[in-house]
Amino acid sequence: MTDDLALRDLSTVADAIADGRITSVQATEACLARIEVWQPRTNAFLRIHREKALEQARAMDKELAAGRRRGPLHGVPMAHKDMYYRKGEISTGGSEIRRNWVAPVTATVLQKLDAAGVVELGFLNMAEFAAGPTGHNVHHGHCRNPWAASRVTGGSSSGAGASVAARMVYGALGSDTGGSIRLPAAACGVVGMKATYGRVSRAGALARSWSLDHVGPLTRTIRDNARMLGILAGHDPDDSTTAARPVPDYEALLEGGSQGLKIGLSLPEGLVPVDARVGAAVQAAADTLGRLGARMTPAKMPDFTALYRAAEVIVKCEAAAMHRPWMEANAPYANQVRTRMEAGFFIPATQYIDALRLRAHFVREFLDVALDGVDAVLLPAIPFPIPTIAETDVEQQGGPATLSMVARFTGLTRPFNTLGLPALSVPCGFDGNGAPIGLQLVGRPFDEALLYRIGHAYQGATDFHERVPI
Amino acid sequence: MDEKTRTAAGIATGLQGLVYDDRRLAEIAAEVEALNDAVRKAAADRLAFDDDPAAFASLLAREAK
Repeated sequence: MTDDLALRDLSTVADAIADGRITSVQATEACLARIEVWQPRTNAFLRIHREKALEQARAMDKELAAGRRRGPLHGVPMAHKDMYYRKGEISTGGSEIRRNWVAPVTATVLQKLDAAGVVELGFLNMAEFAAGPTGHNVHHGHCRNPWAASRVTGGSSSGAGASVAARMVYGALGSDTGGSIRLPAAACGVVGMKATYGRVSRAGALARSWSLDHVGPLTRTIRDNARMLGILAGHDPDDSTTAARPVPDYEALLEGGSQGLKIGLSLPEGLVPVDARVGAAVQAAADTLGRLGARMTPAKMPDFTALYRAAEVIVKCEAAAMHRPWMEANAPYANQVRTRMEAGFFIPATQYIDALRLRAHFVREFLDVALDGVDAVLLPAIPFPIPTIAETDVEQQGGPATLSMVARFTGLTRPFNTLGLPALSVPCGFDGNGAPIGLQLVGRPFDEALLYRIGHAYQGATDFHERVPI
Repeated sequence: MDEKTRTAAGIATGLQGLVYDDRRLAEIAAEVEALNDAVRKAAADRLAFDDDPAAFASLLAREAK
């Protein structure tokens, strides 16, 4: 019975708590039992708050019994990437440098989840300072894929992907600067949304690159994700880059189906060649959407080379600026984290500013080319099958082949951070090694609802999101 | 040490107060050259005097669905 509760999805559990069929304490105990089994296998958590979570769950049950339901996430247990600050608590950012650092503020997104009644099970593993697409972490231990323990989880939100996939939590916050929500979502077989830049507040979240960072949810289903984003999204006076526009009721808009929508399919062969097995899975997803009534058409994608380089300039310059004091003090970074930032000290400020000025032009080009006459673009999230931890270990292996593979991880995700456009990762199959494959849907600014609608229609016709690692 | 590596060395010690060995400076010089060249070319092809970094957020808002 306890295990059964952990295997249900967020929305089902939230609704069952709301109408009294189960309690928040039961759901929390189910997750804790699941964590007991899966934490040793995945290393998804950095800290587990067992007693505190049960105390919160009891309080949520008491409120509900008194007739107060905070909202659609009342009593639901979650955990979050260890970069969302909670005042008075440790927040490591996956680093050695901040192993014992205590946050002075609480992140806006945690405040919103608190207000919605979410129970916090703890904080999750991540790449050091959110800098790494694989899930390696030399300080806190690598995170391992629940589907195949020798394989990476994707990163940097490694623990978020692994914990949701292994049914240890119902949902988790990740962050995405070059793909760090969508990569672990794809590699672990869950749903991840990087919403439009400005849709979700970054206040109180450890920064990787202010201009490219996006905060967002990882969940098992599209409905769960839509429910979470509905709570997280919105203007925040503490983050001046957030948009003032109203937040739609994403969950209410899920049922429109894909009938009549025109979707561009891209299986690039140039800059980021797509492996045949991944391409076949995404093609099959396109065929499914076609059967559901969508009009599939080849996407006209612009050349992302310049855009990709501009993104590198932005992230390196911003990261170098914020990390300077620690780098000057020779603080204990993993080599690959340090070396990826160093060029930022040498790039002229004019190039950095031009990279920022170019963004509007890149967005215009993408809207005019790739999204001309189509509602969304469909492409893979990761262009190749999920590699092993060993073959992507740049600290141990180094070498051009390893570095090249790691760099190609973000080839199909990073462009949409530079463009600021919404991008959704949805599980669409499994590779020959038993690891998941993820598709990616990209839409117009602030059109998250349409991406959810397409993803929901797809999940209604497939069962990849219902499969559970054993 | 070639000219680009010497330039990187000058930036490291003279402007940034950082110390790197020659091998690392050569790697950084090559990386920075590639990034600078790509951005400079993209800027030459696209940017005009009045382009403002804030146009990015304005465009997202204007094109919102």
